[in-house]
Amino acid sequence: MNDNNFYNIPSEICVKINKWLLKFPHGEKKPAIIFALHQIQKENKYIKTIHIDSVARLLDVKKIDVYEVAAFYSMFELEKIGKHTISVCTNVSCMLNGSDEILSYLEKKLNIKVGKSSDKFFLKDERECLAACAGAPMMQVNHKYYENLTKDKIDKIIRDIEDEK
Amino acid sequence: MKNNIRINELCYSTLSKDNPNSFETYVSLGGYSTWKNIVLSAYDKKEIIETVMKSGLRGRGGAGFPTGRKWSFINQDSEEIKYLVCNADESEPGTCKDRDILRYNPHALIEGMLIASYAIGADTAYCYLRGEFIDDVYSSFKVALDEAYKNKFIGKNVLNTSINIEIHDLIGAGAYIVGEETAMLESIEGKKGFPRFKPPFPAVKGLFGSPTIINNVETLASIPKIMENGPEWFNSVGTKDSPGFKCFSVSGHVNKPGNFEIPLGTPFKKLLELAGGMKNGKKIKAVIPGGSSVPVVPGEVMLETNMDYESISQAGSMLGSGAVIVMDEDTNMVEVIHRIARFYYSESCGQCTPCREGTGWMFKIIDKILCGNGNLDDIKTLESIPKMISGSTICALGDAAAMPVESFMKNYKEEFLKYIKDKKEEDLYQEKNNNKEFVLHKK
Repeated sequence: MNDNNFYNIPSEICVKINKWLLKFPHGEKKPAIIFALHQIQKENKYIKTIHIDSVARLLDVKKIDVYEVAAFYSMFELEKIGKHTISVCTNVSCMLNGSDEILSYLEKKLNIKVGKSSDKFFLKDERECLAACAGAPMMQVNHKYYENLTKDKIDKIIRDIEDEK
Repeated sequence: MKNNIRINELCYSTLSKDNPNSFETYVSLGGYSTWKNIVLSAYDKKEIIETVMKSGLRGRGGAGFPTGRKWSFINQDSEEIKYLVCNADESEPGTCKDRDILRYNPHALIEGMLIASYAIGADTAYCYLRGEFIDDVYSSFKVALDEAYKNKFIGKNVLNTSINIEIHDLIGAGAYIVGEETAMLESIEGKKGFPRFKPPFPAVKGLFGSPTIINNVETLASIPKIMENGPEWFNSVGTKDSPGFKCFSVSGHVNKPGNFEIPLGTPFKKLLELAGGMKNGKKIKAVIPGGSSVPVVPGEVMLETNMDYESISQAGSMLGSGAVIVMDEDTNMVEVIHRIARFYYSESCGQCTPCREGTGWMFKIIDKILCGNGNLDDIKTLESIPKMISGSTICALGDAAAMPVESFMKNYKEEFLKYIKDKKEEDLYQEKNNNKEFVLHKK
């Protein structure tokens, strides 16, 4: 928990957060918490306590207000994860179309259990419906949609990621 | 068989065009003409609400509340600040209709938001998209919003008049419960998504303490054409209590899953045909007609049912969000309800005890049965839990968790019993699932 240093939110993120605040009534700071956490997570891959403290400081809200938001929403990662996040939906429409197989295929292929991470890939817990049921089975890789999955498609998606530097 | 149904005429009207999401496409189809007319003629606000009331449009998010009536709860002429919120937190399992509106016809939504804001006297509107839309869906909506600003349909002095309306895009961070309207208000205010007690209703005390109207994407995207073509155009299709067109997301064991916008009251058979019929020529076993929160209906009943609020309610279920999940004869119903129960267990916000505890009990008992460790007492307990949750929670998630379990137990009890009696199958199942660990997304 104690990272014994201080996180300075990069100035370009501060600018974005301040711009976001303009959407809300004057003086309302909390509404920018979710946006700020998204920005910081994008920069750092996951959210540490020092990040939470820095958001609280920037927005002049209580640390607990930020912590509670970070802990409540499923997209915020509070533990170290790999570079690419893979989210496989296993809710009913996907399940009826073989999402269990897709998930085990990925587990084997990436050699990680669901919910766990390697340096490169984080196979997020079985996800709830991601609103692409007509393209079941589906997954998101870094929040991009991939639908009508087959093993071949998955091979290609993973190969493309690995080819990136 | 030929389909002669009217399809994709309202929210999906741009779908058949090139660049369906572009400003030019929307305008070429008469888009923004209604808004222009309202702004330039200083249209009477009450008349807009009356038109929407006359059309009979009902909220498309799931509850089906008459939209015009909802708008009439707000005092349009009062001086206080008012808000419109568009609920684009599409998360009901099986539902993917709003995502296609956001991606392919975002301007209809924007125009609908403008008209609604004007009608209720709000000068600020928020469109709250679910967090998982953060990449492609959000970007395409944002492009459309910028185009509308550039063309002076939104912002300060709309089309050089004295009308000011701002539309802000917002993004969530993953939580089914935020689709509940008061939880959404909490989330917009930057808090965790705990639903609020009602009353006071949002129309009286909503976002930042001000009167607020919350509508679903499809509801708002329906408004421009209803205003343009008149309420009679809209309610000339559908039934008396379910007028107009509705988007249905058909998924599961069908050949061509997809979104289909058809007149309400269309026979389910026709919708199934549109979706290419049953996969692999299998027989239909069951249908969840309105998203995972509604009771399951046996296939043979569904084949005789029309897709409108009354008919589906007569069949023992609800139209909900219009998410039609089709299951074939080989479907293991205990596995399906196991997955559904898991969903509500992991998505219950934990605020109310009956839901927080009840969803966990239901999931754990179904899990126990599925793993071959169940006994007859478990069946009794499982039957009694939904009754203890229903009606005793702040929001509808509790009921949404209870109804499917109740209906699966009612219609497919023999499958649960089979798991308890048939030892052999149990062993097989256990063997198959021994390595499967259920990781719940519960922090």
